[in-house]
Amino acid sequence: MKRAGWYIIAGAAAGFAGVAGFHGSGAPAPAALGLGSPRSAGASGAPSAPAPAVGPSAQQGATGAVRKATGTLEQYGYGELSVAVTVRGNQITEVSVPLLRTAEPYSQQLALQVIPMLKAEVLAVHSARIHGVSGATYTSVAYAQSIQSALDKLHVR
Amino acid sequence: MGFDSVVAPGARQGSKQRPAVRRSPRPRPVLARAGLVAAGAGLGMVTALAITDETGGELRAPGGAATFLGSLTGLVGMYLALLMVLLVSRIPAIERVLGQDGLLRWHRRLAPWPISLLVAHALFITAGYAQAARAGLWHQVAVLLTRYPDVLIATVGLGIMCAIGIISLRAIRRRLRRETWWLVHLYMYLALALSFAHVLALGPSFVGHPLTQIVWSVAWAGTAGLVLCYRFGLPVARSLRHRLVVTEVRPEGPGVVSVILSGRHLDKLAIAGGQFFFWRFLTPAMWWQAHPYTMSALPQPPYVRLTVKAVGDHSAAVAKLRPGTRVAVEGPYGAFTKHVQQRPQALLVAAGIGVTALRSLLEDLPRNSAPVVLLRASRPEDLVLRKEVAELVRYRRGRLHELIGTREQATLDERSLPRLVPDLHRRDIYVCGPEGFVTSIVELAARLGVPAEAVHHEAYAL
Repeated sequence: MKRAGWYIIAGAAAGFAGVAGFHGSGAPAPAALGLGSPRSAGASGAPSAPAPAVGPSAQQGATGAVRKATGTLEQYGYGELSVAVTVRGNQITEVSVPLLRTAEPYSQQLALQVIPMLKAEVLAVHSARIHGVSGATYTSVAYAQSIQSALDKLHVR
Repeated sequence: MGFDSVVAPGARQGSKQRPAVRRSPRPRPVLARAGLVAAGAGLGMVTALAITDETGGELRAPGGAATFLGSLTGLVGMYLALLMVLLVSRIPAIERVLGQDGLLRWHRRLAPWPISLLVAHALFITAGYAQAARAGLWHQVAVLLTRYPDVLIATVGLGIMCAIGIISLRAIRRRLRRETWWLVHLYMYLALALSFAHVLALGPSFVGHPLTQIVWSVAWAGTAGLVLCYRFGLPVARSLRHRLVVTEVRPEGPGVVSVILSGRHLDKLAIAGGQFFFWRFLTPAMWWQAHPYTMSALPQPPYVRLTVKAVGDHSAAVAKLRPGTRVAVEGPYGAFTKHVQQRPQALLVAAGIGVTALRSLLEDLPRNSAPVVLLRASRPEDLVLRKEVAELVRYRRGRLHELIGTREQATLDERSLPRLVPDLHRRDIYVCGPEGFVTSIVELAARLGVPAEAVHHEAYAL
């Protein structure tokens, strides 16, 4: 067969472009799931200067009763988790993860590494509208959704 | 015996009363090209999957680079393994264009890649996860094997692949019997099946991506289906339909016999001259192996004929076949047919038992096509089927040259070949015979300026 190499290369280029293009456009971006542009899992320490996406409820919530709720158990590809939230008024004062199960140890490590960063983000913005951590997109999305369900239970907006 | 009509074909063909043999469909190169583009597209897609799934942050994290290389090598390695299976799945449309020896050449050329890439995958992933966990390498191996779903079984699969890779190294393979090696290397199917689960359970491109999971599963299930259909179902169905039985074993020359078989519905069997079948003679000693032998004449329903030279255990046993032995077949295969001819006329060259493919191909060439035929043998008695070939050549107003003697006495080179065939530039060259002979003629043709696409060859390995 003549020019077999060229047919293969042409196919490879088309296939690569197709998947890369689909990934760029069609795939659900983190933002579509309530997350902003992701931050990196590799970046050490707490996230720096998160955007203050704080609603009017944040200020008025400084006083009020302390209430606590646990969010729904969220399945994500490598495991499942649920998040518990403590609020005073409309202010989130504490976030914890009472339940975390993963398929294998690598995901466990990753989750344990990422959860403190997610917590810091939530405490900074006082809502579930966090950027998330890139490299742990599924964990971030599950975390955000679980928090949102807990906040819904507490009627915190 | 009814097959005498093949031995003296002139009379029947003169009356244009050929039995209605169904002709093999014309090969369509566009299908093979589409196949190449699709194969390339798949390679591009798996590479893109591995890359788009990765972010800068993951790469910079501890062990990130190794983990990324691990998923890339794993995906590409598994994909190349899929291609290797497809190459030998006997899809008829592709076989007709590239020929089985062409497909096997690709299969062999590709073989080292999936195994080395998958070994690299295992090493990279272990190293990457160990770095991420800040654990020792051996500790990480234990964790991977015991606590990750489906990794243990995939490791068993990788072990089988490595074992097959090792016995396929030339130095080791030479010491094994061809049949033994071939049977052992079929365990590759098992190895691939064992590795399948961990890809879906753990692969970053698959977990949480139902679309890629579906595409990947369909690709593998489809390939398995093609293998089952064309390597197993179709041959079984054909064998049951035609019910071939050995009718006669007839000596043709020193160590050469023709086996004449009879069967039903042979007029429905689509075949082109020059093609071959895998024959499985259903005797207690031979049923478990199928060997490729060329048909030495087009079928003359209800008869077909193959001609075999005793060079190994199997071909020697063929001479002792009893009439009444049932025979299963797989085929026909091969692109050594009139369909691939590019130029107006043909030069057919055969050495030794290679004359069998030449004989049936010649029968397929039209009247007045004036083929030139060169037969080479070291002794006159080794020129089997020469009477039949001479008659077929005469009927087509062609020329027959017999080159008899040692390689030095009867040599074909840049001077002698153009002298024998002055109109070489108008002719395709078909060459069939032992590997060394075929290679020498192919190289000679290249030196004489015959374009590669006008040179067709079928080598048989001893």
